[in-house]
Amino acid sequence: METVLQIPKLKEPKKLSPRIQWLRDHYFSGNQRKWNNEFTAWTTGTPWDIQYDELTYYIVPETYPFLETFRSSMKQAARKVKTPDDFFRWSLPERKAWFVKETIVHYVPQEILPGDLIAGARFNLMTSMCWNEKEAKAVDQLIYGKNGSRARMKWFHDHGYGNSGATSGHLIPGYDRVLRMGWKGIYAELKSFYEKLPEEDKNGPRGQQLRAMMTAATMPRELANKYSVLCRQKAGKEKEENRKRELLQMAKNLERVPWEPAETFWEALQLLWLTHMLVMSDENYPGPGVSFGRIDQYLFPYWEKSLADGMDREFGKEILKTFWIHANTAYDALIRVGANQGITAGYGQLITLSGMGPGGKDMTNDLTYAILEVIDEMSPILEPKPNVRLHRNSPEKLLDKLIDMISDSQGSPFLLNFDERSMAGLMREAKKGKFEHLIHKSNVFDYAPVGCLENTMTGNDRSGTVDNNLNLLKAVELALTGGKDLNIFVDPITGKKEKIRQDGPRTGNAEKFQTWEEFREAFVIQMKYIVKKIVDLYEVSESIRAKYNPTPYLSCLVKGCAEKGKDVTQGGAEISFTTIEAVTYATTVDALLAIKYLVFDKKLITMGELIKALKANWKGFEVLQARAKYKAPKYGRDDDEADAMGRFVMETWTQEVWKYKTKATHRQFRPGMLSWNYWVGDGFILAASPDGREKGQFLSNAICPTNGADINGPTANTNSVGKVLGGKTRDGDWEDFVNLVSNGTSHTITFNPSLIKDKEHKQKFKAFLKGYVENGGTALQINVLDPDMLRDAQKHPQNYRHLLVRVTGYNAYFTSIGRELQDEIIARISHEKM
Amino acid sequence: MTESKTIKGRLLEIQRMSTEDGPGIRTTIFLKGCSLHCSWCHNPESISPKPQLQWLSANCIGCRLCVEACPNHTLSYRDHQIVIDRNLCHSCGICVEECPTGALEMLGYDVSVDEVVQEVLKDKVYFLKSGGGITVSGGEPVLQAGFVAEFLKKMKENGIHTAVDTCGLAPADAYEKILPYTDLILYDLKEINSLKHRDFTGSTNEKILNNLLTISEWMKINGSPKALWIRTPIIQDATATEENIAGIGRFIAENNLHPDRWELCAFNNLCNDKYERLGQKWTFEKYGLLRAETLDYLTDIARNSGVDPEKVLWTGSSKTDEEKVMKKGNEPRPVDFCRITGLPDD
Repeated sequence: METVLQIPKLKEPKKLSPRIQWLRDHYFSGNQRKWNNEFTAWTTGTPWDIQYDELTYYIVPETYPFLETFRSSMKQAARKVKTPDDFFRWSLPERKAWFVKETIVHYVPQEILPGDLIAGARFNLMTSMCWNEKEAKAVDQLIYGKNGSRARMKWFHDHGYGNSGATSGHLIPGYDRVLRMGWKGIYAELKSFYEKLPEEDKNGPRGQQLRAMMTAATMPRELANKYSVLCRQKAGKEKEENRKRELLQMAKNLERVPWEPAETFWEALQLLWLTHMLVMSDENYPGPGVSFGRIDQYLFPYWEKSLADGMDREFGKEILKTFWIHANTAYDALIRVGANQGITAGYGQLITLSGMGPGGKDMTNDLTYAILEVIDEMSPILEPKPNVRLHRNSPEKLLDKLIDMISDSQGSPFLLNFDERSMAGLMREAKKGKFEHLIHKSNVFDYAPVGCLENTMTGNDRSGTVDNNLNLLKAVELALTGGKDLNIFVDPITGKKEKIRQDGPRTGNAEKFQTWEEFREAFVIQMKYIVKKIVDLYEVSESIRAKYNPTPYLSCLVKGCAEKGKDVTQGGAEISFTTIEAVTYATTVDALLAIKYLVFDKKLITMGELIKALKANWKGFEVLQARAKYKAPKYGRDDDEADAMGRFVMETWTQEVWKYKTKATHRQFRPGMLSWNYWVGDGFILAASPDGREKGQFLSNAICPTNGADINGPTANTNSVGKVLGGKTRDGDWEDFVNLVSNGTSHTITFNPSLIKDKEHKQKFKAFLKGYVENGGTALQINVLDPDMLRDAQKHPQNYRHLLVRVTGYNAYFTSIGRELQDEIIARISHEKM
Repeated sequence: MTESKTIKGRLLEIQRMSTEDGPGIRTTIFLKGCSLHCSWCHNPESISPKPQLQWLSANCIGCRLCVEACPNHTLSYRDHQIVIDRNLCHSCGICVEECPTGALEMLGYDVSVDEVVQEVLKDKVYFLKSGGGITVSGGEPVLQAGFVAEFLKKMKENGIHTAVDTCGLAPADAYEKILPYTDLILYDLKEINSLKHRDFTGSTNEKILNNLLTISEWMKINGSPKALWIRTPIIQDATATEENIAGIGRFIAENNLHPDRWELCAFNNLCNDKYERLGQKWTFEKYGLLRAETLDYLTDIARNSGVDPEKVLWTGSSKTDEEKVMKKGNEPRPVDFCRITGLPDD
């Protein structure tokens, strides 16, 4: 007899040892804990000193009203770190490297929790920017004022273009190199680069940078020593024999790693954690996007060796589980001031599992499965976020395990990444950015996603994957008005009205257009304009960061920086793209389809009436609005004509993106499609759109069809996505696959639980995933949700604190995401056909 | 012009990623018009071969453009409701064209074989990966045997698995047209007692049983269709009896039909609103889902009826997961207790 899926119950962690259960409960006790990993602020003690790097928050519009508050509160809370007398005679990167190291090693307390198997507790820092007075003044001049970075970024956002800022994190550091060489090896390499410099360069920027990196490279060793001493002390007081042995072993591990290369699995995880957490310290930025890459590949040799040497497999998993707890403490940053004790949405310390190797071979191994077991047993928990890579040769056993995990959770506890389409995007960027010597057929399979699903190479690539977020829909608005805002901007705080200005090119009075082609031409011109506009805006924060915000520790972990003697913030990485993430894609496509259908094809309305309706936010034009919403064609239904419009929009904007590089850092722009939460927030900023959407309603999310448009089910939805990305041709970017969007695209499909209700249906679902490999995009988030349960969670949020949903590929606790998004998720699932 | 362009079929709907109408992932083509009219029918809109107008109140914004547009004054607007005078409606579709929201829908449309082929081939990759394909269902598809045969032939040319879901009541020569291109027959045996069968469906069952025997012979001689699934709807106060299930089982066993599967399809009342929209009453409106124990019991009967017990299973939803099944509309259902704690709401 088939077992029919019962009412989905909240996923519960399972098979946790008393140790892990305690650590997990302790973690979720939040600010009840005796100590935590909340930001601590540190200053050089000068009156001009600041800690808060606002540039990195320019892509978070929610923080705009608080930038000044954050800046001053961090400054106020900052404790003094005693600096050497000649400190300000050093170069900025050397100051920065010394200051971070001094703070974390000598000022921040070291802690170890009962039962923990990995050391490295407090790392959320707000360290001094280490500027001298002149530098601090120069930065202020660039930030403040009418033409300062802050005002420019705010204008851009207020007027619905999107947002842009040089942002921290979002890369995969070269952890695999540290495992193999130890920091000792990294240090030796830096030293040899330094020694090879001509004398005049030693005193110039390259020498300064390399010296700073050498200082940074010794930071992990000194911190490990401190922790090692602490472990011995604790062992001395420990009565329980087993725990005593563990503490002594931890002390021994820390005496070796991360300075020496790792030899055992335990050492490898200890090395990995310390090395990783210090990246977050170095950037004053917890979590976001600092990703681990192919963890089941580079840790596998240590796993195998330790198992062979007698490590119990379950104990190996136990170490991994403590690692999981550590990753979650990133959220402590704002534990007192943030909602839900700072645990909001995924910080995106991504791990990548499985995937293709050389010659299309599958790389799944025993560690892949062990980590999946850990995820299964620990869930729900946010970090680290798993992405599983699938491809044509993914093994049945892996797929079966994944589907069992999906049917067991409220949604899939991982994101799926699809190799062929992803690799096609990376091969394309290699060509476009002239990186063919670094990304090619015989290494492209070693890519991994960062943050949510943004594909990059590993250990030598920083591609600014969330730095620019552009609302494509703005180009439609500008084409309708000949380059102006449709609505007057009213400042929400001051209530002040701003005069509408001619911002974009004058593409003519749309009311006089006789043909669709005329409108389309205007749209293309405005699209070129908005791409150029975000490129120009990015230059502002990117050039400030390059000059004033070095991260020498992180630079040690990114290949290219040492070789060039350049910080990673200066474009030191071998592969250095920056990404424009398109937001509102489907809304834009549907808006164009509606204009074509209503005004030109069916002539149901004049352009003048349409503009009037949009200005009135559809009030008084309900019949017209309904036609736009329900009668005009839509993207996402596998309707070839509508999807051709999608392809046209995709080609138009991506072609434009490839034309630009940053001036200060020579980073090539590349296209991506991730909408984070902007599709919610910017819906209140962008004017009503011709697809029938009112101002204040959601925009479309990443590459997903507009909400409710995918009426032909998951296969049609998937086919549309694959088509607009370029589909397949004989000479694709990777084999027959084409991918116009190199960074990758976020795609979420919510499935009805009945689709995975029993063994037979699970097999069908598995086949769907195999079909997705062929016809779909680069990444898929699978949601399986029950609306009644979600409504109940709205009513009784206190009982659903751990209910996890994933949106746009980042997971969030349902009760923390706000009513609008909650309602949205409920509407989505309710829409599904039984 | 080739036949595939000229022969038209009357369709109700094409449903993609269907997982309930045969093996694997399928596209199901529902044809309009049925030779039976079962009192429990889940697709009442599929019974009449004629196009039928329906109005979905949730989608209506009350603009009344349809009322003005109708040349036959079929429609009126009363108490926020569009009322359709079905005696006057010619199903011309003018109101549907005019309706801005899609609240008015014409059920049933004519398409050529080529048009359907083009649509279903879009999911070919999913069929191949899942061992799925297409299912022609209804209504009664065999009533449109010319269209169906041509379509199935095209599918076989494209290497796609084909299934035909039939109620069994169609001329024998019509089956002969489609069987050469059919891989799987889904055959309904609803009620073994002929008089009861007539009460429930409007027809006795002799012809249905005979057709099944003929098809079974055909399969043995021609080696195709390769597979046969028997499907029995389990309907409370109708087919859900021990005698019926045992009787159907005996018939299958005694005639050596050896089906590859015998599915007992559990009743649900998700289609209540369909009847409402068509302006029809439905006997089963108030009937909820069956209890799992009932379904298990009948499955046991079936397994002990002489049919290979391995081939028997029940499908669909039982009462235990009714909560889940109920969630189909956009309207929140009142929940008066917390799903987690079980405590009543304040």
